Amino acid sequence: MPTLFSIIVEPGFFTSEPVRTAAVIGAAAAIVSGVVGVFTVIRGQSFAGHSLADVSSAGGSAAFLFGINPLLGFLGMGVLAAMSMELVRADHASERDLVTGVVTGAGLGVAALFLYLDMTTSSTTGAAVTIMFGSMFAIPASIVPLALTVGISALLAVGLLYRPLLLSSLDPDLAAVRGVPVRLIGLLHLIVVAMAVALSAITVGAILSTGLLIGPAAIALHLAKRPGLAILLAAAIGIAATWGGILIAYDSYEWTGGHGWPVSFCIVALIFLAYVVVAQTGLRHWRLLPRVVSARTQRAG
Amino acid sequence: MRKLSISVVFAAMLTAGPVTTAFAASSVPINAIGVENEYADVISQVGGQYVRVQAVETDPNTDPHTFEASPKVAREIAAAQLIVENGVGYDAWADKIMSASARPNRKVINVQTLLGLPDNTANPHLWYDPKTMPAVAKAIAADLAALQPAQAAYFHANADKFIASLEPWNAAIAAFKVKYGQTPIAVTEPVADYMLEAMGFNILTPFSLQKAIMDGTDPAPQDVTTQNDLFATNRVKVFAYNQQVTDTLTKSFLDESRKAGIPVVGVYETMPTPGYTYQSWMLAEVAALEKALTNKVSTETLQK
Repeated sequence: MPTLFSIIVEPGFFTSEPVRTAAVIGAAAAIVSGVVGVFTVIRGQSFAGHSLADVSSAGGSAAFLFGINPLLGFLGMGVLAAMSMELVRADHASERDLVTGVVTGAGLGVAALFLYLDMTTSSTTGAAVTIMFGSMFAIPASIVPLALTVGISALLAVGLLYRPLLLSSLDPDLAAVRGVPVRLIGLLHLIVVAMAVALSAITVGAILSTGLLIGPAAIALHLAKRPGLAILLAAAIGIAATWGGILIAYDSYEWTGGHGWPVSFCIVALIFLAYVVVAQTGLRHWRLLPRVVSARTQRAG
Repeated sequence: MRKLSISVVFAAMLTAGPVTTAFAASSVPINAIGVENEYADVISQVGGQYVRVQAVETDPNTDPHTFEASPKVAREIAAAQLIVENGVGYDAWADKIMSASARPNRKVINVQTLLGLPDNTANPHLWYDPKTMPAVAKAIAADLAALQPAQAAYFHANADKFIASLEPWNAAIAAFKVKYGQTPIAVTEPVADYMLEAMGFNILTPFSLQKAIMDGTDPAPQDVTTQNDLFATNRVKVFAYNQQVTDTLTKSFLDESRKAGIPVVGVYETMPTPGYTYQSWMLAEVAALEKALTNKVSTETLQK
């Protein structure tokens, strides 16, 4: 007789190796994306975050072409893009958007070239789908140690950067006055974003990694008053959406007669639904953040 | 003197046999294209000296499913009088080029249409089906005869010769089925499924996994687990591995089968060249499968 549990969780879920690998790497991607995403949202750099993901797809497709680890491909190209965005960038926000847009276009163009070469000179059929939308259940378990290394490094970096990053994100002028190297911090932040994006690119794909970076952070900033709590919440929401998405994708195999839904879709759909619910319920502590800042500023002054 | 030498040359040409007849009968060979090189091979066997055949999909290291036509290919197709394409969406780009460069009297053989298969045919790899090429050869002969009626008898005779030369392959399949019928096998995608079924194999890989690998979509974790178990528990005797559609997932299956000591046989989307004809390629596949069962020997790539 089927219990409620066995109805919700189809048999074999916990013993399946593809599920286990996806759950571990997905959690790492969700934690790092949530933590980094909060800063990205506060800094108003959602577009830069999405752009890094797009550009990193060139690295992912190059990795397919040259047979290197895809995570290294995504990461290498993402860091390169982060550096070019930050080094070329101007001080006005509008011009920063411009540079980001130009770098994104160039990166996606290179991705188009590499994907073409992947599909016409080597034998990788699904390269485009895998790179752009992820192939979570096809991740080889051998990638786990590297993924965890990247994830832990990103978290350590955020830990070290925490105070100056927070200050320069909330009030760049004050940070500059107090001697924080704002531009260096900005560059380091983008490099950590590139690490987060690389991790989520191998799970939900380069294009959809924005969903994991921005979505949970946006929800958490609606719910939490304090940045520290928002970071914890964003990581938790990210993990819940990722594992929930994996479960739905796994179970959908039974509902669809063996076709199954793409796991990336399930994850991003959960994040989107959660955002809609939170945005409708009127819990908008995000608006309170500037008040927290001004309180701090007054204290500092 | 000049007149004499011309007539001598002409006489010599007449006595030299078929080559001269070809020259005398038609100095312009029929331009033909086999979109996949296995179809091009059949065209050249049927058309002989009267056709100039080109193949578009020839590279055994790439996946024809994701082929993109270059302007050069578009020009060749525009100039072709006879085109053989697979259909079932496998080479849909060729249809687009053909409709963009309409040509009166162009003969197009769509193998799917020829065999009367519906558009939702799950497995497009028709050339592995023993029923396919005899029908294709007959259609080619008929079209070539329409293009060059003087050689009709030659084309039909060649088609008959081609069909007769498939007999060793059909015999090998029948003998295999008697000896090894119901042998369990794992595959990566359905490339050789038609032949494997004709040989009596029991394909244990879920079709949804084969399709996900063929289409390059996210595989269901249940299917990946099923496939890994086939290797881990030694439930299959042989693993048919498509050399032309590979990714990290298919490579991990390859590792699993090697680890379990299950022999691997390479199968292909296009005819491995050089050194193969359609007949010898198909015979080599059956021989490789037989070798895998009798000696547990892998034939990962077909080489001559």
